[in-house]
Formats: sequence, structure tokens, C-alpha cells
Amino acid sequence: MTASTELTSEALAAPASVSAAPARPVRRRRTRGSAGAERGILSVADRRRPAVRAGTAVVHALLLAALAVAGLGPLLWLLKAAVTPTQDTLRTPMALFPHGVDWANLATAWTTIHLDIQFFNTVAIATGSWVVQVLVATTGGYVLSVLRPRYARLLHGAVLATLFVPAVVLLVPLYLTILRPPLIGASLINTYWAVWLPAGASAFNVVLVTRFFDNLPREVFEAARTDGAGPFRLFWSIVLPMSKPILGVVSVFAIIAAWKDYLWPLLVLADPRVQPLSVRLPALQQTIELDVYLAALAISTVVPILLFAVFQRMFLRSAGLGGAVKG
Amino acid sequence: MRAAGPRPFTHRKAQTMKSPRRATALAVVGLASVGLLSACAPAGDSGKTKLTVASLIPGTEQAAFDAFDARVAEFEKANPDIDVEGVEYEWTAETFTTQLAGGTLPDVYRIPLTDAKTLIANGQLADITAEVQALPYYDKFNPSVFEAVQGDGGKIYGIPREAYGMGLEYNRALFEEAGLDPDQPPTTWDEVREYAKTIAEKTGQAGYMQMTQGNTGGWQLTAATVARGGRMEEQDGDSWTVTADNDATREALQFLKDLRWTDNSMGSNFLFDWGGINQAFAAGQIGMYTGGSDLFTSLTRENNLDPDAYGLAAIPITEDPDAAVMGGGTLNVVNVKASDAVKAAAVKWIDFYDVSKLVDEDAAVADAKILADSDQAVGTPSLPIFDQATLDTSRGWIADYINVPQDQVAFFAEGNQGRTIVGEPPAHTQELYAALDVVVQAVLTDQNADIDALLAKVNTDVQALIDAD
Amino acid sequence: MTALERSRPSAPRTPLTWARGGGLSTLVFLLPLLFVFGIFSWKPIVEALVMSLQKTNLVTPATFVGLDNFAKVLSDPQLGTAVLNTGWFALLALVFGYPIPLVAAVLMSEVRRGRGLFSALAYLPVVVPPVVAVLLWKFFYDASPTGVFNTILGWAGIPPQPWLQTAATAMPSLVLEATWAAAGGTVIIYLAALTSVAPDLYDAAEIDGAGIWHKIWHVTLPQLRGVLLVTLILQVLGTAQVFLEPFLFTGGGPAGSTMTILLLIYKYAFQNSLGGDYGAATALSVLLAIVLALLSLLYLRATKRWSTE
Repeated sequence: MTASTELTSEALAAPASVSAAPARPVRRRRTRGSAGAERGILSVADRRRPAVRAGTAVVHALLLAALAVAGLGPLLWLLKAAVTPTQDTLRTPMALFPHGVDWANLATAWTTIHLDIQFFNTVAIATGSWVVQVLVATTGGYVLSVLRPRYARLLHGAVLATLFVPAVVLLVPLYLTILRPPLIGASLINTYWAVWLPAGASAFNVVLVTRFFDNLPREVFEAARTDGAGPFRLFWSIVLPMSKPILGVVSVFAIIAAWKDYLWPLLVLADPRVQPLSVRLPALQQTIELDVYLAALAISTVVPILLFAVFQRMFLRSAGLGGAVKG
Repeated sequence: MRAAGPRPFTHRKAQTMKSPRRATALAVVGLASVGLLSACAPAGDSGKTKLTVASLIPGTEQAAFDAFDARVAEFEKANPDIDVEGVEYEWTAETFTTQLAGGTLPDVYRIPLTDAKTLIANGQLADITAEVQALPYYDKFNPSVFEAVQGDGGKIYGIPREAYGMGLEYNRALFEEAGLDPDQPPTTWDEVREYAKTIAEKTGQAGYMQMTQGNTGGWQLTAATVARGGRMEEQDGDSWTVTADNDATREALQFLKDLRWTDNSMGSNFLFDWGGINQAFAAGQIGMYTGGSDLFTSLTRENNLDPDAYGLAAIPITEDPDAAVMGGGTLNVVNVKASDAVKAAAVKWIDFYDVSKLVDEDAAVADAKILADSDQAVGTPSLPIFDQATLDTSRGWIADYINVPQDQVAFFAEGNQGRTIVGEPPAHTQELYAALDVVVQAVLTDQNADIDALLAKVNTDVQALIDAD
Repeated sequence: MTALERSRPSAPRTPLTWARGGGLSTLVFLLPLLFVFGIFSWKPIVEALVMSLQKTNLVTPATFVGLDNFAKVLSDPQLGTAVLNTGWFALLALVFGYPIPLVAAVLMSEVRRGRGLFSALAYLPVVVPPVVAVLLWKFFYDASPTGVFNTILGWAGIPPQPWLQTAATAMPSLVLEATWAAAGGTVIIYLAALTSVAPDLYDAAEIDGAGIWHKIWHVTLPQLRGVLLVTLILQVLGTAQVFLEPFLFTGGGPAGSTMTILLLIYKYAFQNSLGGDYGAATALSVLLAIVLALLSLLYLRATKRWSTE
């Protein structure tokens, strides 16, 4: 679904997760554990019992094997298939290169179907969505939590209310809005804006950031104000620097959502020149040969996996914070 | 999109060689790498008329785009005041609706014959009566095809582009592997069944398959019905009656049931839309299936089918007096927002790119040469949009360039001699096909599917839609 | 009232004092939110309500038709199928996707060294773009004896399975892939909840002589109750809106067995090349929204209790 659809479920998770685990869940655990030795269900005594020790070792080995097969297996197969000729993949999908390796698939996938363009589009869409989401969430959260004008409650309610509307309701009217946007004039169809702007209307982000700001120490703001800082300096020099943890979380969600988005870009980005990978790959499914196609899938998977490898900690922390169920 | 299933009809037309659909894809990419920049640049400098035209469908190979570009260059040379920009284009039901609503269609694009009447009635197509009437051959179009582009008072809203008939596609390599003679394709449904059984037994692949998904199942079931003398809809004065529960349809479904459950000669996968079945066929997983007569290009260029393995025969028809070949076609139409200058340029382009090669020797040779030089298919079997003599003459002009192995597709033309061509059912075609998809899928995936009850439900459901109009 | 506001001088409010007091800069900060929410969220929500009462195909002018769209949608024979299929998907998703991550998370929480490796492996499928995952699994599900999964089953002497190719097995196959793609995220959430179970609770249980199973049953699971409820409802909300899997795997087939509510909405709106039935599409969306809003309320109550516990 659209970015907003996915966010609906995440969004709903927000209040709970945020209130349950303020600012930094990870640190919280540490401080708690530091009281005694960090422990879980098994006690130190439990762990000393040979039966328990052997049992856990076996169970963990099995678990690791299962996770490796389920988590890594399909991806390794994809990597193999990416450089295997079509007929081998069709007739003996589990054999390892019965008729050699076809490295050319990768190059063909990259050049002839111009994955480079789709890659660029994907990155452009993710980056733009991220910028818009961060801008809206931080400025909005700042007003709702720190500046708090009289109408803040009303506004907060209006934002919260959108959490209850599944994105699918907006599909058609939002599409019409993109066709004939008020204030903007020209149709946004086939422009990145058609994805960027609706992505910014994420109540989840606003709520998340507002709650985070609520927990920041008020004294700091007051001190800054007495030092003569106006609302802009307060925002830029005090609030934003203190918000790095939550910005990280918002960023991860924004980028993942943009990477995953399918239906919405499919509708508003009809022109392949601006389509991201997620839209382009299904369209090409039947017009290119299987081996090249699998190579294209493999290439499209490598980038998010690399991102994950590099930012693993941040990903997992964000996931723990409420990323769970993404439709 | 395709996965979800574009409409059958659509599909097929898309595939024609230079067709719109593909245009999009490759073009997109191909032209796009360059085009990304140029598309944004102000093209209409010195008073030139800027014309955007549907080029090829997404995924088309580069050589086809090169051929397209060569044609564009030639056109621009002859018409220095027109600046043509190709846009990748593929007709699928989903993308077309959104593009239509979104106003993002190019100035010249292609639609299925069956959609024209409604689009004309909705005021969605440009009136190009004057421009078309200026064409020397305008009164020579096959009247039954030309009728589709005419609105009230004889106004003209499109130009026929190509027509195809349903044929029986078969894989010659699989035939040989199964010990069948590829030069003796089956001519009756019983033979199809026998051949399919042999192929399945000898090669382990599906001997026969049918499209089932994204409305293509209904499309092909309708073709199978027509071939057995039945019709899905019948006209009754001004209104249309759905007659999906006719004997011919039952027979066609029983045929599928026998192959699937008695002979087990249809393989293990049953969810195929147009692109999916082509891909599986090209990969050697399917022995025979029914499809448009113009699949050669798509199969060999997009799906990498070895041209030597391609065979096309006429679809078998029964003895029934109403038994016929179902056909269809594609129209070139002009964006309703086009100015007079753009309309004039658009018709010039359509004439140049798609029509003149059928009526003018020089144009025919020039077109064929470019295609052949870039290794694109020349000589794909089709049906006439003028008359058979005109088609034969135009084929004669380009005999030297024809590269589609004619001896492998000749069975199509031979078998169709003297046969009647019947159009698609006109009322709520897509909904009818969608409802029939369910029937075809049920017969292929459920041994106990109740054919009569399923067809009766189609009748009721689609008739309700027609009656609600 | 915040400290900031209290510190403001309480002069009579005029536009000038409002601007001086920061009202103007507040508005500047609000602009992005107002612009984006106004145009891309609030306005379309209102329009959806209006459209559900109109007949429009974007081509001919819209006309008000009262509740006709709702009547049409509710009497569409496909709706029953779609609701049942969606419910079936949700139920299967619970059966597959609920216990497995929980067991995995409980086991993983006891890993002392290399837990990062476990988490990373579990989370890996979540990182794969969903479209790629579906397209890849579509290939795995090839029902011929040489399909990927069928080859693997063959090693164990199990005959080839039809996967997506029969009405009975198509939906479970969809759910299997969906679970594979999402379970990692759930594992990580449970893991985070597990590590925040206070150690003293275990200590106390041990003093009472509790064994390992007893601790899991009487300490761990009760402590997870809140999270479990939350993920349960979130999962129901998510599965009610399932689209990608049926759209890309089966297009709703075979024979309508994977036609979900969202797919039906999509078909109303976008699958007729001659102009969609946007009124019916939004009417069905609104109905779905009402059901989901009720579920969300339930959810909020649950989380409220959870967070105050």
C-alpha cells in the first residue's frame, strides 16, 4: 500500500511504544540490568545444570539453523539464480550451476533494463520522502509540544484523528488531489512530489516526535529563552540537537516505507522514467528472460541488505520501538 | 500491472511489433536515459509542433527502440515543422484508466477496438474527421473495422492500426521432442487433445494451456466458444443478453476439464495472464495455447524464444455453422486535448508510421528495411484492416525483408481461408471476461467444479450490469 | 499551559501582540504540517466521504446518488467472498505468524553470545523489498515437480504441492510468504519486551522454587501480555488491508479464492479501462474504515491499560 497505509498500523503502535519505552529503550535496559548480572528466564544456577546447558545449546543451534535457512536461504538462492542460465533454474532449481555460471545476467539486468534509472528514482523518492517527513514532523512536533499555541489541542486532535483512517480510504481522493492539487495548480502526476508530499502527512511521525519533545526537560527551553533565544534559535540550536534519537527512528521508518511502497507510486508514477524499483520490477516480470529478471531482483535486494548491515543497530532498535506489523 | 492482469485484448495488441505497450517500457528506459533530460527541456522552440506519440512497450529491447528512433528521424526529416517524442506506452486496463483520468496519455496512443465506442461516447477521443478524410485511402478501410472508430453523424475518432485473429501457437521443438510432426499441427480439438497428451507424456511439460488470469481467461474462453459456434452475448433489439451458458462454452470447458483431469496434460501451473503464458511458452514449458496471430515478435524478442521453435496454426473450429474465428484489433487515436495543429501532425504520424506501409510501396519497403536491419520481425501474420488483396500486395512489396519464418506460420493463413471473423462481445466486455476468468480457473483447479452453476452465475452477474446501464 | 506560555506577559490580545508574542513564528513552524496534512490528509478524507455518496468515473460529472454506492457494494456477490477471504487471511496469519515469533523470541532472549547474529538473521527478510519477496516466492511456488519448493519436498519424499494453484492452498501459501516477510519485525518487538522484564520477578519466582517452564508460564508470558495484545490487534489491522500478496501472487485467483477487500476496492476503482467506479470504491473503503476504526479504539484501550500497568 501507500506509505501512509503502512504507517497506519505503525502509527497506531506509536503511543503505546513511546509511552512504554521513552527516549532510549536500549539504555533503559542497560541501567536496569546493571543492578545485578544481566539475566533472563534462566538463572545462574539453571545455567550451571548440565542438562539445561546441553538443552539450551541444542535448542539454540537448531534455532540458529532454522533462522539461517529461513532468513538467509531464499536470498542465497536468489544470488545463485541471478548468475544461472534460465533453463537450469527452471529444470533443476536447486542444483548448483550444472551448466556453469552466467555472469552476464547481472550486467544485462543493469544495463538493458536500466536498473540504474530505477535505482536513482528509488533513492530520490526515499530521500525526498525522508526530508518532507522529517520537516513536517519536527516543525509540527515543535509547535504542538514546545510552542503550544491555544489551538494546539485542537490541532493535535486533528492529526491524531487521521490515525484512524486507513490509507485505502484516501486512495481515490488522494489520487484526484494529485491530479488537481489546490494551491499548486499543475498536476503532480509523474513527479516525485506525488509521493513525497503525501508521505509527509504521517500522523505517526508527528505523534512520535511530539511525545519525544514532551519528555525533553522544559528548564533547558526556559533557560534558552531567558538568554534571549527566539523560537527559531530554540528550534535549531536546542530542540533539534536533542532530538537525534527520535530523528533516527523517524528516518529509518521513512526510508523503509519509501523503499517498500508499491500501490501508491504505481498509481501516480505511470511514467517508467520516474518509477522506483518496486513498481518497475513487477511490470518487467514477463517481458524479460527469467535469468536476467532474477538478476534484477537480486540487485534490487542487495542495496537494502547492505544498508541493513551498516545500520543494523538502528534498524533493530526502531523495529523494537514499534515497527512490527507492516501490512 | 501485468501480474494483475491487463485485459486480454489489450495484451495482445500490445505486443505487436512496434506496439505501444512496449513502447513505454523500453522507451522509457532507452529514451529515458537521454530523455530524462530532454523531456524536460523546452522542445517547442522555433514554432515547431511538438507531438508525443506512443512508442514501444516497457521491456522492449534496445534494437527495437533504435528502429523506432530511425523512423522518427525519417518522419521529422520529411516534416521539419513537427517534433516527435516517443513515450513508452503499454495498454493495460489499470494504467490506462489512471492515465486517462490523469491526462497523461501521449498525443497519439493505441486502444483496443472494443473500447472505442465508449470512449467516443464519453468525449474522450479527439474528432479527427477532417484529417482522416484527407487521407487517400480513408474510404477503403474494412467497413466492419472502421465502424468502430465512427461516432454520431459519421464523425471519425480513430484510425485502425492492425487486426489479428486467434490462432493456435505451438512449440515446434516440443512437438519434435514428443515425436510429433511440427509440420502437421492439429486441425481439430480432438487432435489438440491427443497431441497435448502425447507432449505431456513424452516431455513432462504441459501439452496444452490456456490463459486464465486478468480477464484473459474469459477472453480465450470466448474465443474457444466462438470456435465451437457459440456466442457469449446476443443482441436482442437494442439490448444485449448474456448467453454464457451456451453449449459451445460448456463444450469448451469440458475440453479443458478432460485435458486437465482425465489426461493430466496441462501441467501444474494454472494462473497465467498474457505475459505469463508467453513467458512459459518461450521457456519450453507449454506445448500449445491459443493466442493472437501476432505473438511472434513478443515471444522471440522479449521472451527469447528460438524463432525455429515457433509454430502458428489456425484455431480449430467445429462443424457448427456459426463456428468462427474470434478476432480483434488496435486503433490509433488522438488525445482529446490536442490542438488542430497537433491533430494534423498526429494523423500525419499515424499515416507515416502505421498505415502507409500497407498501401504505399515506398513506405512499405522503407519500414521493412529499418525493421529488418535492426533485427525486428517483418511479416508477422495478421488480418487485413483494408482487404485481403491489399494485405497480400503489401506483403509482396516487402518479400525480400520478411524474416518471420513463413513456412512455420503459413498454417494460420491456410487454415483460415473462407472462415468468418467474429468480434469480441461488446457489452461490458471486461466484466464478462473477469467473471469468466473465475469459471476457467475453477475448472482447472477444482476437479468437481460445477460448470453449469458457474456459467449460470456469470449470466446473472453480468446481465445485472448490463441491465443497470 | 506550559512554562513558556506562563512567562508571557498577559496583555490584551491584538494581532500585533499576537505576532510579537510569537504567534506569527508559530504559524511559520506550522506551515509544513498544515500544508501537507491539509491537502494530502484532511481534504481527501472529507472528499472520500463525499465521493462515497456520488456516482463518478472522473469522466462524466459527478452526481449525488445518496446511499446507492453502499447498497451496490453491499449487494455485490464478490463482497461476501472478499470479507471471508480477508478473514481467512487474518486467521491464518495469526496461526502462522503469532506463535512462531513468540517462541523464537523467548528462545533468543536466552542466547548469551551472538544474539546480534540471531536478530540479524531473523530480521533479514523484513529488509527485502516486499515486492521482490513476493516475486521471488512466486517463483518458489512453481507447482511443477521442478519448482523450488517442490524440489525440496521431493528430497523428503513428499509429492509436489499445488501451492498457488488451487483454491484450498493458495491462501495459506500467501500467508506463508507474508509471515516470512514480517515475522522478523515481531520477533524484535518481543525481544525488546522480554529484555525489559524485571529480573527481580524471576528472582522472586526462583525463591518460590519455580522451574524453567513455570517461570516462562507464570512470569514471562504474563509480562508480555500487553505486547501480545498490541501485536495481535496490529496484525488484525494490517491483515485487514492486505493487498500486495494477492495482487502480485494470484490476482485474486484461483476462482476468486484470494480476492480480498482491498483488491476489490482496487478493482472497482482502477480495473476498468473505461473509467472506474470511484463511488463504489470509496464507499467500500469507508465501510472498511469504520470497522478498522472500531478495532483501533479497542487497541487504544488495550494499550492504555498496558502502559498504565
